[in-house]
Amino acid sequence: MQLLINGRHHEIEHGDEPLLWVLRDELGLTGTRYGCGVGICGCCTVLLAGRPVRSCQITAAEVGDRPIVTLEGLAERDADGEVVALHPVQQAFVENPLQCGWCLPGHVLTAVALLARDPAPDEAAIAEAAKPNLCRCGGYNTIKAAVARAAELARES
Amino acid sequence: MSAAKADPSDPVGRPRRWRVTRRRLLIGAGATFGSLLVGAPIVVEYGRPTLVQWMLERGTGPTEIPESSLVWFELTRDGITLHVPKIEMGQGIHTALAQIAAEELRVQPSRLTVVQADTARGFPAATMFTFGSTSVASLYTPIREAAAAVRAMLALAAAGQLGVETQQLTAADGTFQVAGTDRRIAYPDVIAAHHGPWQEPEEQPALRPAGEFTSIGRSVPRVDIRAKLLGEATYGYDARLPGMGYGAFAVPPRFGAELQSAEPGDAAGMPGVQQVVIDVEAGFAGVVADTRTRAWAAARALKVDWSDGTRVDTGALERQVTAGDGVVLRRDGSIRDALSRGRIVEAEYRTPMAAHAHLEPLAALARVEPGAVGKVEVWVPTQSPESVLEDLHAALGEDREVVVHVTQLGGSFGRKGGQHLAVEAARLSAATGRPVHVGWTRDTDLRQAFYRPPTHTTMRGSIGSDGMIRGVEQRSAAGDIIWAVAGLPEPVRSLLGFDPGGLLGLFLPYDLPAYRLVNRREQLPVPTGPWRGLGLMPNTFALESFLDELAEAAGTDPLTYRLAHLRQAGEQQERLRTVLRTAAQMAGWSESLPAGRGRGIACSGDVGTVVAVVAEVDLSDGRLRVTGLDVAVDCGLVVNPAGAKLQAQGSVVMGLSSALREELRIHDGQVVSDNFDSYQILGMADTPPVRVNFVGGGEVPFGMGEPVVGPVPAAVANAVRAAGGPRLRSLPLRL
Repeated sequence: MQLLINGRHHEIEHGDEPLLWVLRDELGLTGTRYGCGVGICGCCTVLLAGRPVRSCQITAAEVGDRPIVTLEGLAERDADGEVVALHPVQQAFVENPLQCGWCLPGHVLTAVALLARDPAPDEAAIAEAAKPNLCRCGGYNTIKAAVARAAELARES
Repeated sequence: MSAAKADPSDPVGRPRRWRVTRRRLLIGAGATFGSLLVGAPIVVEYGRPTLVQWMLERGTGPTEIPESSLVWFELTRDGITLHVPKIEMGQGIHTALAQIAAEELRVQPSRLTVVQADTARGFPAATMFTFGSTSVASLYTPIREAAAAVRAMLALAAAGQLGVETQQLTAADGTFQVAGTDRRIAYPDVIAAHHGPWQEPEEQPALRPAGEFTSIGRSVPRVDIRAKLLGEATYGYDARLPGMGYGAFAVPPRFGAELQSAEPGDAAGMPGVQQVVIDVEAGFAGVVADTRTRAWAAARALKVDWSDGTRVDTGALERQVTAGDGVVLRRDGSIRDALSRGRIVEAEYRTPMAAHAHLEPLAALARVEPGAVGKVEVWVPTQSPESVLEDLHAALGEDREVVVHVTQLGGSFGRKGGQHLAVEAARLSAATGRPVHVGWTRDTDLRQAFYRPPTHTTMRGSIGSDGMIRGVEQRSAAGDIIWAVAGLPEPVRSLLGFDPGGLLGLFLPYDLPAYRLVNRREQLPVPTGPWRGLGLMPNTFALESFLDELAEAAGTDPLTYRLAHLRQAGEQQERLRTVLRTAAQMAGWSESLPAGRGRGIACSGDVGTVVAVVAEVDLSDGRLRVTGLDVAVDCGLVVNPAGAKLQAQGSVVMGLSSALREELRIHDGQVVSDNFDSYQILGMADTPPVRVNFVGGGEVPFGMGEPVVGPVPAAVANAVRAAGGPRLRSLPLRL
C-alpha cells in the first residue's frame, strides 16, 4: 500500500503497524518520535489531513489516502531537497529553542495546525492547543513564546 | 551542528599521536599541510572537586589521568571544527563551548562546527563523562587557551605569507588585517596557502579581557536547534544502519529476579522473528525481528523462568529509610546545651522515589563484526561512554576493538549516565551477524530504571528569647545514589556512613551557634541512583521548609529571618543574601496578597552556584495552584544568557513537577507507575510564568545544569503555609 507523506507517495510494507513505526523504521523519517506509545506525551504527533494526531495510536492502513505531514515536511525545499526557508513555526523555535528537542514534533506540528485555523491566537488559545504535549526539559514558557512569535512571522510572510 | 550521525562511512579525522609542546598544547602529529589540529591538555581541576579528589584517592574513580586532549580544533580550508568530549542532552553546552572558542579565535560562533567526539578519536572516555553540571565550567579556560593558541599559530603563518610582522596583524571575524592597510587574509586562505610545520607562539597568547567580549555573554542561537527542527538530528532511538534488525529481550518481572532458564517458546515461530538468542549464563534471552513491534511481541513470548526477586513495596522502602542513628557529619557547638533551653520546634520531612522520565526511552544500535575478536561499534545516547566501553569489553571480550559513538540525547537527567542498552544490542548483533537496534518501550523504561531514592529528615531546633536560632539537630536518611552505581564494597560504604551524592544540599548554610547532623544511608532492594542534582532537591526541601517553620515560630518574616542568619562575612553568605533579596524583589515580596494566596522563599547552593526561588500560590478555590515563580541565580559568568535561562526555567519546572506530581510507586517488587498516566509529570497547564534573573557575574562560569532545581519544592511548600494552608512536609505536596 501507499502513504502520501510530505507531498510524496511512499510504498510501505507493514500497513498493520502503528503509523509511528512505519514512518520511523520503514521509511527512516525519524523526526517523528516515540515517547509513551499510549497517546499521552505527544512526541509522535503528525498532521493527518491538517489535524494533529498521535501516530502511535493509528495504523498505517487506517490512514488511507489522507495526506500526512511530519517534521521533515515543513520547510520549503528546492528540487534537490535542500532547505530554502524554514516554516515560520520552525523559525520561531530557532529563536525560542527548546532544550533536548525530543518533543519538538508535537509542539511544532500542533502549532502549525493551530495557526492554520487561528492565525492570531491569544495566550489562552496557544496554551490550550499546546497543553496535550509534554516537555520534560520544562520549556513550557518558551513554547508559548515560540507559538506567539510563529503567528507574528506567519502574518509577516 | 553537533548531531552525531550514525554513519559508519564517516571518515575518522583522528589525530592519532599528540605532541605535547612546552606550553602544554597538543598538536596533532602529521598535521602539517593544509590543515591544523590543536588541542588543549587534560585538566581535571573542577567539578565537585572534593568528591572527585576523594574518589581518586580511594581508587574508585579513573585510575589515571589520561594523556590526551580535552578538546581539539580542526582547521581546514573548509572551516573550523571544534571537537568536544562533553555530551549534549539539552543543556546547550555545545553552543556555549562554541562561543568560548569563537571569542579567542575571533570568529562568529556560527562559523564553528561543533562535533561530538567518540571514543575512537583521541578522547579517553573518562573525559567524556558528562555529569555534575561541570561541562562549561571545566572547559572554559582550556578552550580559551587552545583557541588563542590556534589564532596565534594562524597569525604566524599569515604574517609570513603577507611578509609582515605578527604585531601588525589584527584578527576579526575570521580574517587577519594588516594594520593601517586594507590588506586582508581569511583563515581558510592562510591554511590553504600553508606549507610545512606550523610554528608555535613563543608564549601563551593573552586571553581577551572580559570587557572586550563579543561572543561570551551573548545569547547566540543554539548550534543544534536547526537540525532538531528539521528532523535531521540523530538521537539514540533514531540511529540506523543498512540491513539492521530490531532487537528486544526479556526483562525481569521483579527487582532482583535473575534468569534461571530460557527457551524460545512461541517466540521462534512468530511473524518476522529472525533469530532467538539465549545465553542463560549471561542472564540474557532476546530476539531479533524485522520490525520493532514484532521484536517486542516475540520477547514477551519467550519461555523464561526467573528467580523470585524482591517483593518489596513503597511503604517498606520508606520505612527502611528512617532517620535516626547514623554517622555524625557535623558537630558545631553544644547541641545538648542549645536544645535544653529556648522554644523547641520539631518536624519531619519525606520525599518519595522519582523517575527521570526523559522523553526518549533508552536505546542503542550495535554492529559487531564476525569472529571472537570482531570489532564492536555502538551508537548510544549516553552520558558515560566509558561505562559503555567497559561494559562491552566485559560482556563481549577484552580483546575486541570497541568504539562508542554518542548520539544526541532526548533528555537524561542522570539516567543515561548509568544505564544503556549497548551490551544487549551488541549481544544480538554478534549472534545474528547484522546490526541490531534495541529500543525500550516506555513501560519497560520506567520499570527497569534506577530511581531517585526516598529521603527522610527529622529536624529539631531551638529558638532563643531574641527569636534567633540557638541550634539545630538534623537527622537525615536516604537511599544510596553514588554507591548504588559505583563499585565499592558494601563494608567500605557502611564504614563511611554517607553517600557522596546524598551530601549535596545536606548542610544548613546559616549561622548556627550549635549544629549537629547525623546521617544515615541505606542500600535498598531496588535500584537507586543519580537524578538531577542528586541529594540537592530532597535535602533542600527539608532544610528550607524547616527554616520557615523556625521563622514562623519566631514570628518573623521568612526572608528577614534567613538574612538575619546569614550575617557572616563569607563570600557564600554574601551571595546567598544577594539572590534571596533579588528573588524577593522580583516577586514583590513586601506587597500584600489577597486571602488564599501566598508567597514562599527558599535558597540553596551547589557546584559554586547559588539560587533563590520565590513561589506564589493560590489556594482560594481549595486546590493548590502555583501562579508564578521568581528565580535569582548567581552562577558566576554567564556564557549564554538565553541558554542559561532555559536551564533555569527547565530546572524550576522539573522541581515543580516533583513538588506537585511525581511519585514512583512500587508494589510486589515491581514499578506500578509505568507510563505517563500513572507516573504524571508536569504539563503546560500547571506551569506558571517562570521569571529568571542572573546576578553576580564573575571571571568564570559555575554549574547551571542542576543547582536551580534545589529550592523549588521548599519555596512552594512555604508559599502554601503563607497562603493560610497547612504545613506540608512530604512530596508531592497535597492539600
